[in-house]
Amino acid sequence: MPELPPSLLSLDRPGSALSNSTGPIIDFAPDASCLDVEGLSLAYGGKPALRDLTLRVPRQRVTAFIGPSGCGKSTLLRALNRLHDLDETVSRQGSIRLEGQEIHAPEVAVDELRRRVGMVFQAPNPFPMSIYENVAFGLRLQGGMSRRRMNDIVEWALEAAALWGEVKDRLRASAWSLSIGQQQRLVIARTLAVRPEVLLLDEPASALDPISTLKIEELIRSLKSQLTLVLVTHNMQQAARVSDYTAFLHDGELVEYAPTASLFTNPRLARTENYITGRMA
Amino acid sequence: MSLAEVAGFRARLPRGEGPWAWLAAGSVALSLLMLGGLLTLIAVRGLGHFWPASVSLVELDDGQLLAGRAVRELPLATGQGRERLYFTGNRDIDGHVWQWVAVDRIVASEQPRELVVLERVRYGDFIGRLVDVRPAGSHVQGVGGGEVAWAALQARLAAVDALRDERDDLQRNVIQPLVRQLEKDPGDTAARRGLAVANDRIRGLQDAMQAEVVVLQSVDGRRLVLTLAEVLRAWRPNAMSLPEKMGAWVQGVWRFLSEGPRVANTAGGVWPAIFGTVLMVLLMSVLVTPFGVLAAVYLNEVAHQGHLTHWVRIAVRNLAGVPSIVYGVFGLGVFVYGIGGSIDEWFFSDQLPSPTFGTGGLLWASLTLALLTLPVVIVATEEGLARIPDHQREGALALGATRLEMLTRVVLPMAVPAMLTGVILAIARAAGEVAPLMLVGVAKLAPQVPVDGEFPFLHLDRKFMHLGYHVYDTAFHGDDIQAAMPMVYATALLLVLVVLVLNLTAIFLRHYLRARHGALSRH
Amino acid sequence: MIKLFPVSSSTQSPRRHLFDRLATGLIAAGGIGVILAVLAIGAFLAVEVIPALFSGVLDKERITLSLTPLAWGTLKAAFWALVFAIPMALGAAIHSAVYMSSRLRSRIKPTLELMEALPGVVIGFVAGLVLAPWVERHLAGAFALLLVMPLGILLAGGLRWSLSSSMRKRLPLAWAGLWLVPWLAVLGLLALEVSPWLEAWLFGGDLRGWLDTELGIDYASRNALIVGLAMGFAVMPSVYALAEDALSGVPTSLGEGAQAMGATRWQSLWKVVLPAAAPGVFAAVMIGAGRAVGETMIVLMASGNTALMSLSPLEGMRSMAAGIAIEMPEAVPGSDAYRLLILAALLLFLFTFLVNTLAELVRSRLRRRYRRLGDRS
Repeated sequence: MPELPPSLLSLDRPGSALSNSTGPIIDFAPDASCLDVEGLSLAYGGKPALRDLTLRVPRQRVTAFIGPSGCGKSTLLRALNRLHDLDETVSRQGSIRLEGQEIHAPEVAVDELRRRVGMVFQAPNPFPMSIYENVAFGLRLQGGMSRRRMNDIVEWALEAAALWGEVKDRLRASAWSLSIGQQQRLVIARTLAVRPEVLLLDEPASALDPISTLKIEELIRSLKSQLTLVLVTHNMQQAARVSDYTAFLHDGELVEYAPTASLFTNPRLARTENYITGRMA
Repeated sequence: MSLAEVAGFRARLPRGEGPWAWLAAGSVALSLLMLGGLLTLIAVRGLGHFWPASVSLVELDDGQLLAGRAVRELPLATGQGRERLYFTGNRDIDGHVWQWVAVDRIVASEQPRELVVLERVRYGDFIGRLVDVRPAGSHVQGVGGGEVAWAALQARLAAVDALRDERDDLQRNVIQPLVRQLEKDPGDTAARRGLAVANDRIRGLQDAMQAEVVVLQSVDGRRLVLTLAEVLRAWRPNAMSLPEKMGAWVQGVWRFLSEGPRVANTAGGVWPAIFGTVLMVLLMSVLVTPFGVLAAVYLNEVAHQGHLTHWVRIAVRNLAGVPSIVYGVFGLGVFVYGIGGSIDEWFFSDQLPSPTFGTGGLLWASLTLALLTLPVVIVATEEGLARIPDHQREGALALGATRLEMLTRVVLPMAVPAMLTGVILAIARAAGEVAPLMLVGVAKLAPQVPVDGEFPFLHLDRKFMHLGYHVYDTAFHGDDIQAAMPMVYATALLLVLVVLVLNLTAIFLRHYLRARHGALSRH
Repeated sequence: MIKLFPVSSSTQSPRRHLFDRLATGLIAAGGIGVILAVLAIGAFLAVEVIPALFSGVLDKERITLSLTPLAWGTLKAAFWALVFAIPMALGAAIHSAVYMSSRLRSRIKPTLELMEALPGVVIGFVAGLVLAPWVERHLAGAFALLLVMPLGILLAGGLRWSLSSSMRKRLPLAWAGLWLVPWLAVLGLLALEVSPWLEAWLFGGDLRGWLDTELGIDYASRNALIVGLAMGFAVMPSVYALAEDALSGVPTSLGEGAQAMGATRWQSLWKVVLPAAAPGVFAAVMIGAGRAVGETMIVLMASGNTALMSLSPLEGMRSMAAGIAIEMPEAVPGSDAYRLLILAALLLFLFTFLVNTLAELVRSRLRRRYRRLGDRS
């Protein structure tokens, strides 16, 4: 676990008295924010999914979004690399800035944005190609890369995803021949190969067995020295184990956002406590 | 309670499922029976045609003799006794090739070894005895009858075959190019000389082929003298052993597949029809595949998924159910008269009023069938695209792919089996479709195949022969339907085989596709 | 700890975006173009005919005179085709959806799919040149076959009850579609052997003459019954496939509910499953009707192509599709005859298109209903 930024330690805490207020409580003022979400509202075909959400994601830390299903945490994650663009029924207000630049600005190329903000999905989705080709996929899109350099990057990415040792002798085998856990790490390697600045993980371990889950969690911790990671998870223990900050969302709204340790040990709102203690599904 | 116990329990119930359940089961059995019957009929008759069946020499109670192949036997219309149909050949001597004989009237029937069957250029088969092989114009006894004559005939026929091949080769590779050369430049003396030499050579070959005659005698004693050039094949079915018969059968099948039709399509082979069908279908698939895939990709990946797209999808699906003849009318009105007429006015006005593209032809037929099968390809490809899970698309996008890159690198390769299925189904449908072709370009007999050595090599404006139309035309517009029936059966069998094989391929491909996507959607 | 790998910024971006936009535009344009070309068929037919209709070039009397017999022939052929096809197809669909063992079913369905693919010209040839002359010669035998088949099936069901239970287990209803085949084949041959004696006994040895003198029915060798049988054979597989889909799509909980209350499978089918699947079965029949109306080669080859307007199923007819196939190549473009034929094509197009659209709507509504039912259970 990294140390908490000093700015957080100096915050004064209002003791153990739980507040019943509904407005968001943001126990957090990061100085090095990577993503700034401001006043974001999102609706699917008129049905609101996110309401006036504002939060900052700190650079080179793991931030977890938790909350009951349908709370909008996955929607928020997909908004961060504009994957919701695919759905024509989505309407959006508010802004998201990546390193200070508005991602919805007309001059931003959406594919370039998605390269910078990579994403790993709930179910592993390797392409029906060889292991090598899966990792090289994003590199080939950019073109103009020598064979040697591509080999190097593929090896680096697989190593970074802790998969190299298991697959280095069968890079030409079909990606679908891997186990589910290996497939998910392959997908992470594939995403790392294009050198994103942010990695979004949408319940990356929910389809995996406990040992594979452990490996993924280790991987997440090892990656944060280089990347900003955002993790959506259902699993409170997982959020507590790997994340530095945790945001609790409910019904499309941000309820509480604080360093993980303080949110789990000392939630400020009754709603948060109810959720993390399992009194609210 | 186990399943078997449940069944046993049911069986002990006083009432069963009742008569209707049995009738329902019966309709499955009945359809299988009908399908099996149809296929067996076509297969047996189609393949049996090539079997060198034994020839019987029959003596009737009034002393009349006839030689022929027994074809079938039926009860007499009066209900007493049966009658038998013989194929007796000898159209030029007897004036007919079939004879019904009441079985009671047959005094003796045997199968003498010396009876020969000759396949001839004109008048169909001859059945009778071989008397002599001798030089033309001579009245002196030649090699004589019996085994000696048979051996001589075999040797001479092989020689004549070689001569015939040489003649055809000369015609195709020397004379035709020279004639075209002279059409362009009538003053070319070298070509003129070459042509004269070649024509002399051909005349020499013709004479050599007619240099000897074969003397034949029908079983009732009438004589017939034929030049060797008129005889294609000779065999003695009663003297053949089983392996020999099988060899002859294979040879017959091969000749059917590789030769052109003779005697107004009632004999010979169907090679031009096979060629025409395959070429037309190939052209059609070249046209239908890119357009069908394009439309499917647009509908499924690019178009806004609103009400309009929904209705367009239903409309396209329904066009698959519009009768093929309507497509034929469209092809005739738009392609042949509309576009073809305009092309003629612009580019071939010197040949008007005889139309070049303004009449049915290979190009228009392929285009019409492409339009007819477009819905099949669109629907199959769309199904394939819809089966690809969305997370594959998102995976590509999340790596920074543009929409085009996502389509070409991930989505389309995954949809290839579905596209193939669609194209194969389209080909199967097009291969069996006849009605629209009758309007846009099929021909009863097209001596010129649409591909040859003449520029531009592929003649899109030519009419072509087609297996399905061959079946229709031979069966309905010939003079002697009975004589043509074996050919029709064989052609129908070939068509059915082609269509069934294509459909089976599509079924297996679809099966493979489902299995693969099943594996994919498991996790 | 993993070392950072140096990033090389991509330089190709603008070209890629241009390419992407261009290709998307091309796909859209091409796709719309292809779809318009396919849909142009209806437009072409309408454009050719409607002005002539309104300007009075084609007067009503002429249209009625020339198209009525063809329309009559079309409907007559389609009617007899459906008379043969619907009971067979629905019976087969019910049997394979409810009774058939799943192993047999996975074989039978593709087999019938292959049956659908048989070219019309082959079926037409067999019907017109083999079946028609044979039936003409063996009229009594043919009628005996028609009678023996259903009776033989019932007999098989009845005989099975009198068998010992071990024999009965070897002939289960689930496999009846298969083991009835040899039984029916034997019965059919038997019927053919017996029929001449029956004919001699009942009709004085000449059924055809008897029909003519006693009932005044003229028997044409290529008649509506032959066409109906052949076209029924061609239409049956598609009706079967759609009806089977509709029946086996009914959530199993519905039928099982009825069986739990002691109904036989037939009763639960009749009272519960069939009403639920009725729209799908209806759609299947509609699509079959559309195919029967448009089928060209079978009618062309198996009917006499005489434009008669008789009710008798033993006489021939001429259908619109066959009329178009025969006359269109000779019609001069722009002439009245040509326009009349295009009008016939337009009618065929509209009929099949509407029927299919109706069927498709019914089917999609049914699919939604099944999904809801499936959710609730």
